[in-house]
Amino acid sequence: MPVAASAIYFLNLRGDVLINRLYRDDVGGNMVDAFRLHILQTKELGTCPVRQIGGCSFFYMRISNVYIVIVVSSNANVACAFKFVVEAVNLFKSYFGGAFDEDAIRNNFVLIYELLDEIMDFGYPQNLSPEMLKLYITQEGVRSPFSSKPTDRPVPNATLQVTGAVGWRREGLVYKKNEVFLDIVESVNLLMSSKGSVLRCDVTGKILMKCFLTGMPDLKLGLNDKIGLEKESEIKSRPTKSGKTIELDDVTFHQCVNLTRFNSEKTVSFVPPDGEFELMKYRITEGVNLPFRVLPTIKELGRTRMEVNVKVKSVFGAKMFALGVVIKVPVPKQTAKTSVQVTSGRAKYNASMDCLMWKIRKFPGQTESTLSAEVELISTIAEKKSWTRPPIQMEFQVPMFTASGLRVRFLKVWEKSGYNTVEWVRYITKAGSYEIRC
Amino acid sequence: MALSGMRGLSVFISDVRNCRNKEQERLRVDKELGNIRTRFKNEKGLTPYEKKKYVWKMLYIYMLGYDVDFGHMEAVSLISAPKYPEKQVGYIVTSCLLNENHDFLRLAINAVRNDIIGRNETFQCLALTLVGNIGGREFAESLAPDVQKLLISSSCRPLVRKKAALCLLRLFRKNSDILNVDGWSDRMAQLLDERDLGVLTSSVSLFVALVSNNHEAYWNCLPKCVKVMERLARNQDIPQEYTYYGIPSPWLQVKTMRALQYFPTVEDPTIRRALFEVLQRILMGTDVVKNVNKNNASHAVLFEALALVMHLDSEKEMMSQCVALLGKFIAVREPNIRYLGLENMTRMLMVTDVHEIIKRHQAQIITSLKDPDISIRRRSLDLLYGMCDVSNAKDIVEELLQYLATADFAMREELALKAAILAEKFAPDLSWYVDVILQLIDKAGDFVSDDIWFRVVQFVTNNEDLQPYAALKAREYLDKPAIHETMVKVSAYLLGEYSHLLARRPGCSPKEIFSIIHEKLPTVSTPTIPILLTTYAKILMHSQPADPELQNQIWAVYSKYESCIDAEIQQRAVEYLALSRKGEALVDILAEMPKFPERESSLIKKAEDTEADTAELSAIKLRTQQQTSNALVLTDQRPANGAPQVSQLGMVMVPSTSNVDQNTVDQRVTQSNGTLSAVDPQLPVQDHAPAGDILGDLLSPLAIEGPPSVSPQSELNGVPSYEGIPGANDALALAHVGDQESTVKPIGDIAERFHALCLKDSGVLYEDPYVQIGIKAEWRGHQGRMVLFLGNKNTAPLDSVQAIILSPSHLKSDLSLVPEVIPPRAQVQCPLEVVNLRPSRDVAVLDFSYKFGTYLVNNKLRIPAVLSKFLQPVQVSAEEFFPQWRSLPGPPLKLQEVVRGVTPMSLGEMANLFNSLRLMVCPGLDPNACNLVASSTFYSENTRGMLCLVRVETDPADRTQLRMTVASGDPTLTFELKEFIKEHLVSIPTGGKPPAPVAQQPQPTNPPIASSDPGALLAGLL
Repeated sequence: MPVAASAIYFLNLRGDVLINRLYRDDVGGNMVDAFRLHILQTKELGTCPVRQIGGCSFFYMRISNVYIVIVVSSNANVACAFKFVVEAVNLFKSYFGGAFDEDAIRNNFVLIYELLDEIMDFGYPQNLSPEMLKLYITQEGVRSPFSSKPTDRPVPNATLQVTGAVGWRREGLVYKKNEVFLDIVESVNLLMSSKGSVLRCDVTGKILMKCFLTGMPDLKLGLNDKIGLEKESEIKSRPTKSGKTIELDDVTFHQCVNLTRFNSEKTVSFVPPDGEFELMKYRITEGVNLPFRVLPTIKELGRTRMEVNVKVKSVFGAKMFALGVVIKVPVPKQTAKTSVQVTSGRAKYNASMDCLMWKIRKFPGQTESTLSAEVELISTIAEKKSWTRPPIQMEFQVPMFTASGLRVRFLKVWEKSGYNTVEWVRYITKAGSYEIRC
Repeated sequence: MALSGMRGLSVFISDVRNCRNKEQERLRVDKELGNIRTRFKNEKGLTPYEKKKYVWKMLYIYMLGYDVDFGHMEAVSLISAPKYPEKQVGYIVTSCLLNENHDFLRLAINAVRNDIIGRNETFQCLALTLVGNIGGREFAESLAPDVQKLLISSSCRPLVRKKAALCLLRLFRKNSDILNVDGWSDRMAQLLDERDLGVLTSSVSLFVALVSNNHEAYWNCLPKCVKVMERLARNQDIPQEYTYYGIPSPWLQVKTMRALQYFPTVEDPTIRRALFEVLQRILMGTDVVKNVNKNNASHAVLFEALALVMHLDSEKEMMSQCVALLGKFIAVREPNIRYLGLENMTRMLMVTDVHEIIKRHQAQIITSLKDPDISIRRRSLDLLYGMCDVSNAKDIVEELLQYLATADFAMREELALKAAILAEKFAPDLSWYVDVILQLIDKAGDFVSDDIWFRVVQFVTNNEDLQPYAALKAREYLDKPAIHETMVKVSAYLLGEYSHLLARRPGCSPKEIFSIIHEKLPTVSTPTIPILLTTYAKILMHSQPADPELQNQIWAVYSKYESCIDAEIQQRAVEYLALSRKGEALVDILAEMPKFPERESSLIKKAEDTEADTAELSAIKLRTQQQTSNALVLTDQRPANGAPQVSQLGMVMVPSTSNVDQNTVDQRVTQSNGTLSAVDPQLPVQDHAPAGDILGDLLSPLAIEGPPSVSPQSELNGVPSYEGIPGANDALALAHVGDQESTVKPIGDIAERFHALCLKDSGVLYEDPYVQIGIKAEWRGHQGRMVLFLGNKNTAPLDSVQAIILSPSHLKSDLSLVPEVIPPRAQVQCPLEVVNLRPSRDVAVLDFSYKFGTYLVNNKLRIPAVLSKFLQPVQVSAEEFFPQWRSLPGPPLKLQEVVRGVTPMSLGEMANLFNSLRLMVCPGLDPNACNLVASSTFYSENTRGMLCLVRVETDPADRTQLRMTVASGDPTLTFELKEFIKEHLVSIPTGGKPPAPVAQQPQPTNPPIASSDPGALLAGLL
């Protein structure tokens, strides 16, 4: 593995060093000055995250009000360095309880030094998993959920666990009630033309799991995705059941998923980490069920008046309903007066966002709702620029609905002791950037 | 300020101040802007207090950097408010939000004028301040007399006159015609006698502007200026509050002396003596003191005095005094003063015969070259460069070379260039020059432009005595372990040419020379390799008959580069290899380079260019232009041939080894540029002129009495004589309708058809037994789309059909192609696009002709794209109407006329007429039932939408006369619209009661031209 870092610096926005750690002695001590002079104080800041100054490469990244700078003098693996930074930040966040900023760093100097020692060695990244590290690196005030009885911790197991096949799960977990929670969360991105043709549409989804299982269970997840189903029917030599099959693109799994089995059998099988984790991410570009249809008509009547009509139809099942629906209908900046009528929810002109903000708390399926508004504009001195007509934006959440149509077919749990588990499955679809041109 | 009373405003400001970040602030501001928009749009209107409050908020938001593009109307309207708090905010916001080019300011002119001519001093001050800040040309035209009156009035307080002077200065800058030169020189002289220093200072500001424009007219003010100087500097006769750190009004002194510099000389000996006495006093009285403010003020006066001394070319004694004083300045520790000293000394160099005195300070200036402050280093470099001549060149150049090693990177290039130029200009002997340049390349190779080493090569080639020395030096530099690439280039070139002159010396055999140069080959970049290849060829040539070992080595190098990716290197390698195999012939081919033709150094030219760029201060520039003998002659040439500076700079960069004479190229470029730019402005003129003429010829008889006198004649002369002369057809085209009546007579009255089409959008424009022209039009804003339907009623085709639109200058029309032949019983559609550019009553004419049998029928038909078509009726309410009506005061925006001889019609008919002219009649606005009020929006490309208001007061007793008032935001529009409506009122052929003249339907022998009514005459003609 190539080197990822010769030194790592944490700087605040002014360029003062908060913490630094030199892993190799091939970079000098005045690196921060070079960074400050050639990057921080120029307008190139934020244009390119990798810069070479002198013989050294600088990789930097801004997280809240902290710059994290990695300095390397040799030919380093940039992707590895950035992944390292991202993982390290996640690790710090889990230690500090969510926040990672200048204050958090100042309050945890000792802990950070200890962690920096642990997660990288002579420029090579080491174990960055919070679950692991929290077992061994503890601090006053930071309470790992497992450290209630420190005497129970079998310390000699450390090496075994770190180097073992299942590094993400400890042995010997016991739960009274064995439960698995599985959430499919999808967000729909849509760009639709004013005439109703779809210009861009995709769904990004992720499957989140929370496991409270005893021992070392082996889980197997079945979805109604195309590859899985085809493989299954091939093996069992029987036709797939009727119903839609989903083609998943760009699937990425959590490290616990057994990739060899996925490649050969197309099944998702894994030994889950304890607690919460993200099992997989995917994307879908075809066959998306749009939960809402929006039909806008915006008429500009002369220079000072406008008529806006927006009809929103929900096209998901009648028994379901959407929550927190917000429709932002754009209006020109020089809007002076509006009079709005809506069939449900509430709508108001929002001057700071230049839109009519229409909120509907609960939107049942297979219904429609309309907004009609008259907008009066004030005449301006500026040469009349035609209004750019930004798209209508929409926010919503539809529980128990997946825009992709993805369903969990089964979730099997095997364990030596053969206990029973309770499985909970939830679906939810949210709006990503859901935009309709008008 | 009255801010304390406005709670809403202070709450808003504290809200904004409490915002944590920019985003929050933006949200708060946008919310407030939305609120203000809603309030301004409110039908009920605003109380003055509310208006004031929201306009203050707008200003606050605007000052925070947000865009506020509405509400100017409200701000401007506050100017005419009666109370001070409202007026004040009106003035302040208007001068912040608007600039001189905004149309809205026009609305304010009247209110501002009222305040200026009013009696209230506070209001006068507000108004003068506004005009002084944002007044434009229009203000200048309409307000200048009033402001002048204020300035010279004796009853005004100084406070007002002070502001009036500055206001007049602004107006004068916008339009220099507002001040009558003859009258003003006396008044100015009077003003310069003013006792009040405030007024005097402002007046002198105005005076500087006047004098810079035309100094001839103000000779009589010159003694007054000197008197002012005497009063200030000698008599110290000023009130206590105008002395600043003991200096009597330094601002006034500086301005007066600046004004004096605009006069070429001071001739009157007494005045001259008085002035010199004052200047002497200033020079003597100024010194460096501890107090910074005092220093600033006294130095400002001093430097202006220095400039004046230089300008007046005073005697040497005074000059040397100046230099001595400046010498004191550059010896001070305070960097600002030293900077000023150096800068002014540089400026002094322009004056002849002070060089010797300045040279005394050379050591001090050289010390300044090592100052920690870069601007001081630059100034002293400039000064050294300027003061260098043959006597001190050696010292200065050596100093510069020494300094080069430690100088700033930013300065090195300039430094290297200047050192090279000085060495070339003032070299005592040529070997010294070569030494200097080689040293320069050695020390600052990166900053030595190609021009510099090209120049050395040129020199060495042209001076045979120099060649061995230069070659030897080059050889010495090659012994150094690390040398700059430019040095490699120059030494390779020199050794290639002249190494044979050294052959006797140790270490200078061709072989050794080759090996030492070849050592450098791996370290150089691509552009240098060809030079080295040439050097090898030269070495080979000089060592003929060749030493086989050396020859093999060189051939090996060539064959290596034969396949080089760089075309230049490859070509040279291949060619040299082939040439060198020719043996003896090589000597002829690769003989020594001939001498270069003598020419101006490109370096010096380059330096002059950069100098010209940094030409300073307008007064100085003006002076250099007056005295062409001055050093900066180049600045005079440039505007004359109009060449862009870039091209000259670009030409200078051409290496001087090329054989093109740069001067001629320069000139060629500039000349071609010159002619090009001369041609350009002519083109449009040629384009427009004929078009305008044609229209003028065509339309002028149409509008005035021309044709009526012609056509009766033609009638009398009889038809045959006409038909015999086809050429006359063109000349008297307008008479044709009458002419061809024997063969083709129009059906129906053309004028009546035209008038009908003025009121509606579709109908028949023209009809005769063979052809019918229908028209259908759509109007949108300032654009119109018409379709001409050309119908052939006959069973035979019509041929030679031609239709040309002759449009007046205010219409842009585009007629699609008309087919030459219209088939029998067919109709052809020709779309016609019309764009209205500006208001005008003139109409477009369709020149339509066709051939029926052997007769050529030609008609000129007016196209009903009249003024009213570009109107868009708008209904206005009383609330909107009256402010608009009032905001358009008197002529030329509002015109009134009593129209007599109106076709009698009832009020209802008249209302219908107005409505069909697209003037929306608004009932109920005028309390008098006999009156009509109508409104409409006029569209043209220039004005966009513009509201027009019309009011007609009829007399129930006499229906043939009425009083009409037309108002709009544009004077021409008002006039044209008024005339247009008048035409229609006087001569419309209304359906029910056709007026007498047109009632005579066209009869074959007697066209309706007999009538005395001009409108009807016109109608009868067409």
